[in-house]
Amino acid sequence: MEPVIEVQDLVAEYDSVRVLEDVSFDVRRGEIMAIVGVSGCGKTTLLRHLIGLLRPTSGVVRLWGQDITQMEEDELDRFRARFGVSFQASALFNSISAAENVALPMRERGMDKELVPALVSLKLSLVGLGDAGDKMPSDLSGGMRKRVAIARAIALDPELVFFDEPSAGLDPVTAAGLDQLILRLRDLLDITVVAVTHSLDSIRAIADRVLMLAGGTVRFFGPLDAVGRSTDPEVRRFFRVGADASSPASR
Amino acid sequence: MSTPISPGGTEAPLVAPARLSLDAGRELWGAVRARLDAGARCVAVDLRGVERLDTQGAAFLRLAMRAARERGADLRLDGAQGQAARLLDFLRPALEDQPAPSPPQEGLLERLGGAVFERMDELRSARDLGVDALYWSVLAPASGKGLRWGALMDELHEMGVRAIGIVTLLNFLLGIVIALLSAAQLRQVGQTILVADLVVVAFSTELGAFLTGIIVSARTGAAITAELATMTVDEEIDALRSMGLNVARFLIAPKLWALLLVVPALTVLAMAAGNAGGYVVGIALLGESSVAWWNEMVGAATLGDMGQGLLKSAIFAVIIGLVACHNGLRVAGGARGIGLATTRSVVMDIFLIIVADMIFAVFFFFV
Repeated sequence: MEPVIEVQDLVAEYDSVRVLEDVSFDVRRGEIMAIVGVSGCGKTTLLRHLIGLLRPTSGVVRLWGQDITQMEEDELDRFRARFGVSFQASALFNSISAAENVALPMRERGMDKELVPALVSLKLSLVGLGDAGDKMPSDLSGGMRKRVAIARAIALDPELVFFDEPSAGLDPVTAAGLDQLILRLRDLLDITVVAVTHSLDSIRAIADRVLMLAGGTVRFFGPLDAVGRSTDPEVRRFFRVGADASSPASR
Repeated sequence: MSTPISPGGTEAPLVAPARLSLDAGRELWGAVRARLDAGARCVAVDLRGVERLDTQGAAFLRLAMRAARERGADLRLDGAQGQAARLLDFLRPALEDQPAPSPPQEGLLERLGGAVFERMDELRSARDLGVDALYWSVLAPASGKGLRWGALMDELHEMGVRAIGIVTLLNFLLGIVIALLSAAQLRQVGQTILVADLVVVAFSTELGAFLTGIIVSARTGAAITAELATMTVDEEIDALRSMGLNVARFLIAPKLWALLLVVPALTVLAMAAGNAGGYVVGIALLGESSVAWWNEMVGAATLGDMGQGLLKSAIFAVIIGLVACHNGLRVAGGARGIGLATTRSVVMDIFLIIVADMIFAVFFFFV
């Protein structure tokens, strides 16, 4: 089957500093891919290339077989309806209620008027917030805000969803709940997921395959079980291979 | 993509296509509605062929279920498999729930009353702010609880020094305008030298203070509101309070004092700049002699007029400061709230400045 995302020899340079160097990987339909690495390794830059917010210096990013690096902006906008993005800081609009935040992209894309309220409440129950629709974002906890942001990211029923640090700044219990939510959405909605994260717990809970970046290059790409066979000291350090009994290699 | 829904008889189930999404869902719902309208007691939907159901399709199923329930009919969803079955199972409680009753519409009186109470609440908080500001700006420093001098100096620089250019330029230009407009009238009686008197009186009693007030409210008033509103939204105000720091002392008093010093000072500058504009017109366009124009100006300038202008400018300064702080601290919501508060602040400033100006005009007319 054709991969959903295909990245080849992606190079990104800003002010002649190389941020990404020869990054290549693919994401298959229905899988959950985690992009991992320490802070400043280029994860978020890579994500911004995948959703077309940044254009690479060279290389190819294909979504569903089409190269988005050369696409005109309005063509890209139509393409963006096929994927959703949940941003790190939730990025909810604070002046409208949670339900209105989820309804916004639907209304803007001209969905049937009578359908919108029914659809919004389904989305909110999908993310486990069935009764919080009327609340304002400022009245929600951090975990609930993330859930609303996820409901908004799946507002247009995308086939592919990007998550930027889904559990950043949350307590372990809430973070684990969000991991479960991502797994549930994948199963219920048949979507492909790309999650940028630095949380080992999240990676272990959700990822089918892992792409590890360090210094802008790919250090590891493959299923989590294969981490133990890597000889790269940086990969071993990040995944704490051999450091404790619960390392992924020994599970 | 969407295969058409097979029509079938009234009893035959409606067959959903392989991909039940927006378009197919709408079509399916239309078919269900048509049957319900035709009086069917039970409508069956065959989901066996559905390979992918998304929430848009599910939302149409929900609309259909609700419509059926409202008509006392029954909607059966049969044979969902795989992903469609998983999604329907999970969403079943939401699909079958009763719609929440919409809140009753507010009547005219209710809204009117609400608006009155809101205004009263706003007036109360404005009064509290005024009292607080007065205490921490005047009474507290007088009894030895110091003003924050460093903050005051910063504000003086930001509000005053950096506004010199714009205030001078705009008043100079307005001086030219006033001189030209009045010259066109006074030329008819051959007394263009009186333009000098007119410009002096206009700028010392009215225009210097007024235009400065408007410029400062747009420049500094808006900035104060945006700053305080952002601080409120970002919980910085709460942080200050939690550290036991008084907001009025910490933020408002330095700004009020700075405005109170800066606006009259800028007004003096504005008076000079306006008269300079008039002078340029007199010498360059009206052909008056420099000495005659100067003597006319000095003769027309009175301390009383200038005092009136300066008094007004001080009142404007207090209005700008209190309105800006009031709106900044009352902000609700996020980015949009900050924008609204800033707009409101500037509009309220200009409104109150003109009202105060009118009251002064009436007062000095009779005094």
